[in-house]
Amino acid sequence: MTDRILLVEDDERIRSSMRLSFEGEGYDVSEAGSGEEALDRFAHGDIDLVLVDLMLPGMDGFECCRAIRRGSAVPIIMVTARSDTHDVVAGLEAGADDYVTKPFVPKELAARMRALLRRARTDEESAEASTAIGDLVLLPDEGVLRRADGSEVHCTRTEFRLLCELAATPNKVVSREQLLERIWGYGYFGDGRLVDVHVRRLRTKIEPDPALPRHLVTVRGLGFKLVP
Amino acid sequence: MSGAGERPGRLGLRSRLIATFALGALSLSVLMGALVYFTARHTLVVEQQGAALRQAYANAALLRNALAASIPSIDAEVTSLDTGRATASLLNDDGRWFSTSLSISRSSLPTSLRSDVRSGHVSTVTSSQGSSPLLMVGVPIPSVRSSYYFVVDLSDLEHTLRVLLAALAAAAAVTTVLGALVGLIASRRTMRPLTEVSTAAAAIAVGDLTTRLPVDRRDPDLGALSTSFNAMVDQLEERIERDARFTSDVSHELRSPLTTLAASLEVLESARADLPPRADRAVDLMAGDLRRFQRMVADLLEISRLDAGSGDLALDEVVAGELVRQCVAAASRDLPEADRPTVRISPEAEPCLLLVDKRRVERIITNLLENARLYAGGATEVSAEVPADGTTVAITVADAGPGIAPDERTKVFDRFYRGVTSGRRGATDGSGLGLSLVAEHVRRLDGDVRIVDGPDGVGTAFVVTLPISEEATP
Repeated sequence: MTDRILLVEDDERIRSSMRLSFEGEGYDVSEAGSGEEALDRFAHGDIDLVLVDLMLPGMDGFECCRAIRRGSAVPIIMVTARSDTHDVVAGLEAGADDYVTKPFVPKELAARMRALLRRARTDEESAEASTAIGDLVLLPDEGVLRRADGSEVHCTRTEFRLLCELAATPNKVVSREQLLERIWGYGYFGDGRLVDVHVRRLRTKIEPDPALPRHLVTVRGLGFKLVP
Repeated sequence: MSGAGERPGRLGLRSRLIATFALGALSLSVLMGALVYFTARHTLVVEQQGAALRQAYANAALLRNALAASIPSIDAEVTSLDTGRATASLLNDDGRWFSTSLSISRSSLPTSLRSDVRSGHVSTVTSSQGSSPLLMVGVPIPSVRSSYYFVVDLSDLEHTLRVLLAALAAAAAVTTVLGALVGLIASRRTMRPLTEVSTAAAAIAVGDLTTRLPVDRRDPDLGALSTSFNAMVDQLEERIERDARFTSDVSHELRSPLTTLAASLEVLESARADLPPRADRAVDLMAGDLRRFQRMVADLLEISRLDAGSGDLALDEVVAGELVRQCVAAASRDLPEADRPTVRISPEAEPCLLLVDKRRVERIITNLLENARLYAGGATEVSAEVPADGTTVAITVADAGPGIAPDERTKVFDRFYRGVTSGRRGATDGSGLGLSLVAEHVRRLDGDVRIVDGPDGVGTAFVVTLPISEEATP
């Protein structure tokens, strides 16, 4: 099955060249020139990964991310103009799983896409024992996080994967570098902000009081650990 | 005061102010002193003359009566006269002279005085006999064809005046010193705002464009200075920002076509098998230069971001040995095995903790290796050790190239600086920003970079020192 990529980019030349390049890599490509068009395409097509430029006319990339995130856990990579904290963190907060900065090397982007798509698939195949986290139950084999009343907590795939990684070794510290490598496929120089922002987002979903985390705990200077 | 300021003075403003105040005080006190002195002198002399005249008249009247009565011992009569403070009384009785003093005789009297008196006028004259000044009053006594002379020694008066003069001179000296002191205090007060301006200008010169002077609205002069100074800095800041924004904008604009080019080229590269050999070679050239172009734009963006001060640090505490190994591995990823530098970490440096932005250190080492590749045939060794003082880790990137002359060793960190030897290779190989980015990143990490001779005096060694994290020291 070929993966279908939604390419959200207002520059028509970049869009065309990237389509050529992605098709060469064996992906199906849908194009959108604006945020509104992207949402329309997303609603109609079976999209496996979204690549969204943050600088768009009209509805910007952040808003587009949030809108897609409201109804879907699809992997999103954002294309930022700069790697400054403001843009990167805002994009990740809006729901993106990873980012690349312009001008990017197509091979690098392809590697990021493969990492996210592979993860999306392995999530579906993983079969680990369920873990209780406070009032919640994590069911890795079903790919769901349930509340005590049986309702589902909506997580993105990256958030879910992060939770699974930490739950695999409860009460043990996992470093940022380890998480970056296992979840995003980055080496030594991965961006620690990716982990921090996703941990923050996850806390708002699993912690009774996200400001005073009891389950997803930061161990200063070392990393994070999960306390069930 | 303003006149002195227009001359290109050899003295500083402070010295000029002090000198002006001292001179002012001196001339004022000299003027006042002169006024006091001459007034006092005039008053005292007039008083003395009046007294002498009165006494002379009285004595002359007594002598006239005595002469008229033809007293035989005229000599005794002259001697018995009340002379007060006078030194001598002289009587010329129709050619016969009588004097009460041995030192003052007829010849002591100036001829002008005598002729005046002879012609029937009362006359006064001051003259000096030896060292003592004398006041001489001549009174004619025509009824007995005589004349009387009264001589007063003015030494006391002169002494009084000398003491007065000395006192006035001392007062003038004290006033001058006080004037200089007031000048010193005034100059301090005057200089303080100037010192502030100078400090602010120095801060701006080293790049702190947030420096502004406080505006004192109560002082119209200094307020205006501060306001215009601040306006100048605003202008400067705006211009620098505009330049930085321009660089940033240009680089941003270049990124869109670069993205298109890179993606399209990749399509071409993946279709190499179908390309004729000439086209294949052209794709190679394009790929090579596109990478360089991307590198330049990335460097330009990086430097404009650093200039704007927005490049924030993602600080992590990392182990020095691991950091250096990882950085060298990432930087020489695309190099063939044989071209990769050896890595040597000293046992002391290995476990040191550094609080750094890993990716900035990676940029530093990548740029240094790139620089060595472009100008020195590649780096031979990257080493890390702890220098004697034990507070830093020194990372050395050494090559076996032609070396860098001592006088060029700071210039190579300038933007777009191309050394004498760098002209040899295609002058456009690097972006010309690599080493200036190294310097900038090192500065942000509170470190230092310098160039020394390579090992055994061959080639060049770039030494980057980074502070060991204090938290890490046990």
